[in-house]
Amino acid sequence: MKKYTVHLMIVSLLILFVTMTCAAQLRFAFMPGIADPFYFTMEKGAKAKAEELGVELLIGEYPKAWGPEYQVPILKALVARGDIDLLFTAPTSTEALIPVLKEIHDSGIPVITVDTYLGDGDYTKPSGYDFPLSFIGTDNFLGGQVVAGQLAIMLGGKGKVFLENTNPDTSSVMNRELGFRAGLKIFPEMELVGVEYCLDVQETAAAQVSAALQRHPDLAGVFGVNVFSAQGAYQAVVGAGLEGAVKIATWDATETLIEALKRDEVDLILAQMPAQMGALCVEWGVKHLNEGAEIPKKVTPGFFVFNQENVNDPEAQQYIYK
Amino acid sequence: MADVKFPYNKIANNSQDGRRSKVIFYIGRSWSFFFLIFLLFIFSFLGENFFSVNNFNSLILGVSSLLLLAAGETFVIISGGIDLSIGFVMGFACVSTAIIMRDMNAAGYAPFISMLTGSLVGVLLGSIPGLVNGFLVARLRVPPFIATLGMWGIANGLAWRLSEGFPVGFLPLQARDFGNAFLAYFSQKEGFSILIKPELTERADILSLIKIVPIPILIILIILIVFSFILSYTRFGQHTYAIGDEVNAAIRSGINVPWHLIKIYLISSFLASCAGVLLVYKLHMGVHTQYTSSYELFAVAAVIIGGASLTGGKGSIWGTTIGVLIIGTLNNGLMMMGLPIFYRYIAVGVILIIAVLIDQFFPELVYKE
Repeated sequence: MKKYTVHLMIVSLLILFVTMTCAAQLRFAFMPGIADPFYFTMEKGAKAKAEELGVELLIGEYPKAWGPEYQVPILKALVARGDIDLLFTAPTSTEALIPVLKEIHDSGIPVITVDTYLGDGDYTKPSGYDFPLSFIGTDNFLGGQVVAGQLAIMLGGKGKVFLENTNPDTSSVMNRELGFRAGLKIFPEMELVGVEYCLDVQETAAAQVSAALQRHPDLAGVFGVNVFSAQGAYQAVVGAGLEGAVKIATWDATETLIEALKRDEVDLILAQMPAQMGALCVEWGVKHLNEGAEIPKKVTPGFFVFNQENVNDPEAQQYIYK
Repeated sequence: MADVKFPYNKIANNSQDGRRSKVIFYIGRSWSFFFLIFLLFIFSFLGENFFSVNNFNSLILGVSSLLLLAAGETFVIISGGIDLSIGFVMGFACVSTAIIMRDMNAAGYAPFISMLTGSLVGVLLGSIPGLVNGFLVARLRVPPFIATLGMWGIANGLAWRLSEGFPVGFLPLQARDFGNAFLAYFSQKEGFSILIKPELTERADILSLIKIVPIPILIILIILIVFSFILSYTRFGQHTYAIGDEVNAAIRSGINVPWHLIKIYLISSFLASCAGVLLVYKLHMGVHTQYTSSYELFAVAAVIIGGASLTGGKGSIWGTTIGVLIIGTLNNGLMMMGLPIFYRYIAVGVILIIAVLIDQFFPELVYKE
């Protein structure tokens, strides 16, 4: 009998211990938008911060393509285990993910959206999508302004520039365009001579920038809003033999683009901070759950601008998406 | 089968005035050619800097992939089929070539060796979808639209899987230099030079440098001449027309139709892979084809504008080439006029419908080799 009592006591102590450690250790889940270097980098940042703060981090399987039809099944499987304290995710649709994330929120799991948002991204005003704790992500409009400013500085404040965009129906690149236009207004001698949309087809981008160079022989700079438009722009510039004479600015510090920068094919890369975004999600999540801290509804990490001078700096390397 | 009779098609056969009808017949037969000349003429007046050697270079380089894709599509459409997979087969070949080049380059092989191996393997791998398409269509009787639509997805999925959805970079620099070279250069300072690009520093000199015949276009031209010869002057070509004209008659006359169809789909994929390999040299990276690019639809459009009929039995490589050039000229010319992109889609759409109307109402005017 005594033996049983001892056993019982040990087992209850063990159970108590396990529950206590479980309660102490938070468990967060991260659901990325698509398998690409941007989200891989975000995961790395989040993981590092989670280890530092003693949070267990579960990573959803990376969807192979962009869209709710790919993301939602993985997301549902991820939260189905039921022991998650907080979810941060990049919703792949501003509309389709509202009911899905609302259901998760209503089941008691707080939600942070990272990089992309629900509705119009403004969670401060009452709406059907005001439930997430916060939107942590890039301000594409601001980024467009930064590129305009940096390009203008590089060109000495004057000259004709051209914008090579991708899809006129995608909010992120359109906000980059609007920001770029707004940023150029500050420089009275900078002129935006044209905007084209290559639909992510590099060959089209090259043809469009070639035509722009024919129309405007004194073109001084091109902003390609992503890797396809930037590389297409570079190809057109090389075709015209104007390497170096036409500056090319672009977005997202993938290894391919950094390599292009080192080879002088592009001149300026605006890096978002995916690692910081991931880390911020974990940090704010812990503050919210442990200390009841009020999280700002919108958190925007800054940018890092790569150019020929700083691309080899040791401290710049952390901003490359790997 | 191809000659659907409409009550309105009286021009060529019923006209009283023989001479007049001959002129109309001639113009109607080559309407796409005259339309191309007309477009070039119009845009020379309306477009800024449209009429210049360098702009024609950028015009033709802009449709260089389409030239090869549409040439392959011409064979398939003449035989009465359709190949929707070509755009993604091109992307698949492009990514495969680039990955081999990148890895061999990283392993320290000589640039020439890695470029050659990458190109050959890319063309070989990219031709496999054509074999499968041909087998499905010819042996298993899957309608071409469905078989190649299936391959449309498979080729795209493979390309995506291989590249992880990202451009494949880190290729030998020689690839870029080759893909963007010209046959000859003429500058006011340095005069005429063949293959060697003059070193110019002044922006005005660089802009006034006249570049003659891009190397990729030269390669494409040679390929087109070979395949045009095959289509027009060989028994293989005659059989292709015969199958598209009346497949039962072709079988009765002893043509091995299934085997012939397999070869046709193989040609289509082969040319698409060539386009993909050339793309690696032009872009200096391997890219999978985007869903939004619609290469296969523009290729079909070019073939139809060039005088072919979706019912088969008609069409020619050079007609198709004119079709591609019309699409390229419309795009480039409207761009040089500063018109937004959606007008260009509308323009290509209108021209396509006109082409089909001409084919429908005046079937005897359209090319028939």
